[in-house]
Amino acid sequence: MTNPILAVSNLCVHLQREGRRLPIVDNVNFALMPGEVLGLVGEAGSGKSVLARALVRAISSPLEIAHGSVVFEGRDIMTLSPRGLTSVRGNRIGFIGANPMGSLDPRLPIGDQIVEKLRSVKPKIGRAEAREKVLDLLARVHIPSPNARFHEAPFQFSGGMMQRVMIVDALVSDPSLVIADNITQPLDVTVAAQIIRLIDDLRQSINTTFLFISSSLPVVAQIAERVLVMQRGRIVEQGRTAELVANPQQSYTRTLLSRIPSIWKDVTSPVAVEGEAVLKVDNVTRTYFVRRRGTFNSYNEVKAVRDVSLTIKSGENFGIVGESGCGKSTLTRLLAWLEQPDNGRIAFLGKDLSLLTRRSLIEMRKSFQLLLQDPYGSLPAGMPVQRMIEEGLLIHGIDRAQAAPLAREAMAEVGLDGDLAGRLPVGLSAGQRQRINIARALVLKPRLMILDETLSALDQVEQTELLDLFNRLQATHGFSYVFISHDLALVRRMCHRVAVMYLGRVVELADNATLFERPHHPYTRALLSAMPTLEDNRFSRAQYLLDGEPPSPINLPEGCSFRSRCPRAQKDCEKVDPSLFALDDGNYAACLHTYGALTQKETADVE
Amino acid sequence: MFVLSFLLRRLLQGCLIILLVSFIIFTLLRVVPGDPARLIVGGMAPDEVVAMKAKELGLDRPIPVQFLSYLANLATGDLGTSFVRPKSGASLGGSAFNDQTREERAKVLELILNTLPMTLQLAALALAFALVVAVPLGTVGGLYPGRWPDKLALTLGSICVSTPNFWLGIVLTLFLSVKMKLLPAIGYRGFSYTILPAIVLAVEIVPFILRTLTVSVAQVMREEFIQLAPIRGLGRGRTVLKHALGNAAIPLVNLLGVQLGMLLGGVLVIEFIFDYPGLGLLTINAVLQRDFPLIQGIAVFISVMFVVINILVDLIAMTIDPRLEY
Amino acid sequence: MTEIVQQSVATPANSKGGSTPTGRMLQLAASRMDFRIGFLGFSLLVVVAIFLPLISSIDPIKMSYGAKLLPPFPAEGWRWPYLLGTDQLGRDVLMRCLVGLRYSLLIGVTTVILMFVVGCGLGLYAGFRGGWVDAVIMRLTDAQLSIPMIILAIAILGVSRPTVPAIILVLGLSGWPLYARVTRSVVLGERNRGYVLGERVLGASDLRIMLLFVAPVVLPPIAFVAVLDIARMMIFESILGFLGLGVQPPTPTFGNVIADARKYLLNAWWIATMPGIFMLVSLTCLNLVGSALERARNAVLRGEA
Repeated sequence: MTNPILAVSNLCVHLQREGRRLPIVDNVNFALMPGEVLGLVGEAGSGKSVLARALVRAISSPLEIAHGSVVFEGRDIMTLSPRGLTSVRGNRIGFIGANPMGSLDPRLPIGDQIVEKLRSVKPKIGRAEAREKVLDLLARVHIPSPNARFHEAPFQFSGGMMQRVMIVDALVSDPSLVIADNITQPLDVTVAAQIIRLIDDLRQSINTTFLFISSSLPVVAQIAERVLVMQRGRIVEQGRTAELVANPQQSYTRTLLSRIPSIWKDVTSPVAVEGEAVLKVDNVTRTYFVRRRGTFNSYNEVKAVRDVSLTIKSGENFGIVGESGCGKSTLTRLLAWLEQPDNGRIAFLGKDLSLLTRRSLIEMRKSFQLLLQDPYGSLPAGMPVQRMIEEGLLIHGIDRAQAAPLAREAMAEVGLDGDLAGRLPVGLSAGQRQRINIARALVLKPRLMILDETLSALDQVEQTELLDLFNRLQATHGFSYVFISHDLALVRRMCHRVAVMYLGRVVELADNATLFERPHHPYTRALLSAMPTLEDNRFSRAQYLLDGEPPSPINLPEGCSFRSRCPRAQKDCEKVDPSLFALDDGNYAACLHTYGALTQKETADVE
Repeated sequence: MFVLSFLLRRLLQGCLIILLVSFIIFTLLRVVPGDPARLIVGGMAPDEVVAMKAKELGLDRPIPVQFLSYLANLATGDLGTSFVRPKSGASLGGSAFNDQTREERAKVLELILNTLPMTLQLAALALAFALVVAVPLGTVGGLYPGRWPDKLALTLGSICVSTPNFWLGIVLTLFLSVKMKLLPAIGYRGFSYTILPAIVLAVEIVPFILRTLTVSVAQVMREEFIQLAPIRGLGRGRTVLKHALGNAAIPLVNLLGVQLGMLLGGVLVIEFIFDYPGLGLLTINAVLQRDFPLIQGIAVFISVMFVVINILVDLIAMTIDPRLEY
Repeated sequence: MTEIVQQSVATPANSKGGSTPTGRMLQLAASRMDFRIGFLGFSLLVVVAIFLPLISSIDPIKMSYGAKLLPPFPAEGWRWPYLLGTDQLGRDVLMRCLVGLRYSLLIGVTTVILMFVVGCGLGLYAGFRGGWVDAVIMRLTDAQLSIPMIILAIAILGVSRPTVPAIILVLGLSGWPLYARVTRSVVLGERNRGYVLGERVLGASDLRIMLLFVAPVVLPPIAFVAVLDIARMMIFESILGFLGLGVQPPTPTFGNVIADARKYLLNAWWIATMPGIFMLVSLTCLNLVGSALERARNAVLRGEA
């Protein structure tokens, strides 16, 4: 019977606020066996991050460790002398946080900083030896050109790459335990999946114990053998992952599991509708010029949106998905006509927007509205709720007397309490704030609502409520929606048709069922394979998850921009940059080889 | 390569600015009342002599023409000749217009270059004093916001910034120099004459450093990478000195350029009070004596200095912080 | 002016109940001890400076040879009612200080208001418009900043008669670029915030957004720090006075009084010292208020209050 490498008993952390003590971590007990990966799941506010820091005694006022013991490798961290503590932290226990870009000094080269850390915890190591070790690890986490990147500063890395650097930082001292606190949260879906795969691979060779913390059970389930479920500071359930998922014992665990949307099992996805075109986008391109660092007058071209065409029909929900850098934010700004395309045209209800006079444009603006992600920054400070909602009407020349009842009507429709009318938005929840935003748009009776990650800042419960609201409003008013999101589960639930973007292009455009069950483009498959889910993923990561990251939009390779990572890439992909080809079933994919030489393996899976 | 293109861009901008400044000063001096020609030849001289002198000095030509010829001289490094000061460095003229003992006038550039080292010495010593006092206090104040070092920094800064420099100079002269005979005050007969003026100048610099450092150190200490440092295994001392201070110094360096203009005013007044033979005293006397070429020359020279110092400051900022792009 | 102003000025995520951000800043500032001391002290001085010369029978300008060079209370030879002594022409030092304070305040406050209005106005416009308007205004500030204020002041005031409006103009010229720059960079930051985009999508014109939404949110924090500038301008004014470029005698201002008093330093030290102490005390109070406002503003912007 081996001893646990980490044994936590009765750990309590209190928050001192206004003379009261609130328990943030409440009598937590658990043990970690050497070599295992233990997952810790909890929603926001469950105390899991505080617990993570408490384990290494990194708690400062107003938080304080009330009592408890954390026995690591035979010694209680809570009672260690300062010297003992420094011999453990960073040395025997590694820590990776949720904010890779902010974890290192932003001015200095990352390589030097990792060397600095190594030599701080193991003073006997010489500089050359430390350097070698860092370079070796950088290569092992698949950072390309480690010798060059050693000397770069954090801002020159992408989020995913920087998280790999932090993994190196944690592992460089050969720790026996690594605490990973929400490390995949800020990352794109495919990048997060790569990181998890990386950790899994590394584990095979280094035999380090991992405590993997996340707010998402599907994410944790991919890597952890055992799972702890945390709610309001307490561990409510623990067990082997498979068993916990199949047979949850506690009601909270059951609730947690029920909130995870299913992608493939028992899903009725919305079926495509017919209708007139509300928004027609034709071959739209938008390029930015960014001054090249360190030169006098030359500029880099960033092709943010390249030759995008799509049509949004009346009463339809259209989804646009993609990861960082795919161009969806720029496309959103174009659709909302906050910026104009350099090429191509956008027509709303048949009228080309660029040809409208200023007056008719303002008039037209009533019909398509944009709802943004940030519920806090999107509301002007210092303006009462009702006045905010009236704003749109006031701009269009309706006087206050007439605008007021319309605003109140809109408030009622979105489910806002009438007596919030005179209040300032201070203290309102994120959900309520987004409702205010919806009311602001609603009051102008638009035909189209563009939702730019509008639900991303909300928790599960609020999201569901608002989705129901969207459906109700659509039934009453006949809106069309454009959902721009990175959340594939949301899109699966709500959208009739979906477009997938990569490096400024739409690489696939299909109806909901086809996209999720029989996608054509390899990138779509990679996305689906990377999705964290508890179901058996049709698209296994081993086969479909890609390596590497998208090339920089400044240096797009010739030909198909996806070919550097594509499993199907062939000679002609280097020359031709495919636009969307129509497929048999009325869907589109931007690939030269959709019909061509499909390998045996792919054909079998697609069917 | 990068540095070169940056320098090129900044130098070009600098030239434009210097051009603008010199034109403004040039015009200003020409349009204000008071006739320099008369000043040179003396109040008693007959009008024809004044006119002749004016012609000799080129003061009768239209202003743009004068400016262009001035620029032409500038290009060759000739800042003109003082209207007033003689080459020997003795006091101003003013004797009769036909006095044979009136000597040749001194060159402006020489005058400037003779006094510049004195001012630089004063500035350097003042900066040293200010750094020694303000950096430790500001750092500790930022490390423990809201506690006594921070309050001390705030109060000290407030008092320093509320003290008129000329008054402080006078009071310190009274106490330290006259009553207690600790330090010499007026004029210059050795390095110790720099100390008192430097103290007064330092009092002007200290609040700026204190305020910037307390705020930026406090801000940096809240950053994630500082919070994470002990967990990663870095020692506190190292963390503070290298990482916290290193980042906190960035805003300090950035604001340095802006502060220069304000400091110059202080230097002028302080040299005037202490009769310290630096560039400031030269400037004030030049203005009081209506010595046009000297005023112009100083203005141009100071503009050049400002441009150069600003470029240097930006270069240093870029070295400390690779995120900056110019 | 610090860089903290760069953060979003709109409602931060963890804002507690209460009024607008500006209201919270004021509340927080007013709760600080240093604010209260400074505010109290300064108000007291202002009240005294305005009213005492009105009710007192002592004339700060009238010379009285019989009362020359009297020392202040409680030194030997002191005479009532000359609390702080008299100068070489028998004029009451206290009265002269108070009149000087009046002028300092007048010039200081007016100058800062001028700088604020002009600087922030241009900064708002430049930040919002962008393009060549922005470029022109920025080059203007560059040029202005490159001319050391003191040289400009000496050049202008040294040759013409220094009247109060001229002094205000010269001082104002030296300070507006900083306001313009800071306002502009904050506006640039705010321009992409959700509420601005939201307004644009609703169809609002740039002017409407600028005046109704951005200005009320951007300007108050800058205004708070402007208080500190009042003190700075008051010192500038006294320096000009000292060099003989300020308000001319016989009107007493701190600068010219101290300049005059240099000669008597050894035997009548109070003539030069008292005005300075007056300045020191009143400006320290002002600075305490300004620093408290600045700290409060930063705390609210960071979302701590």
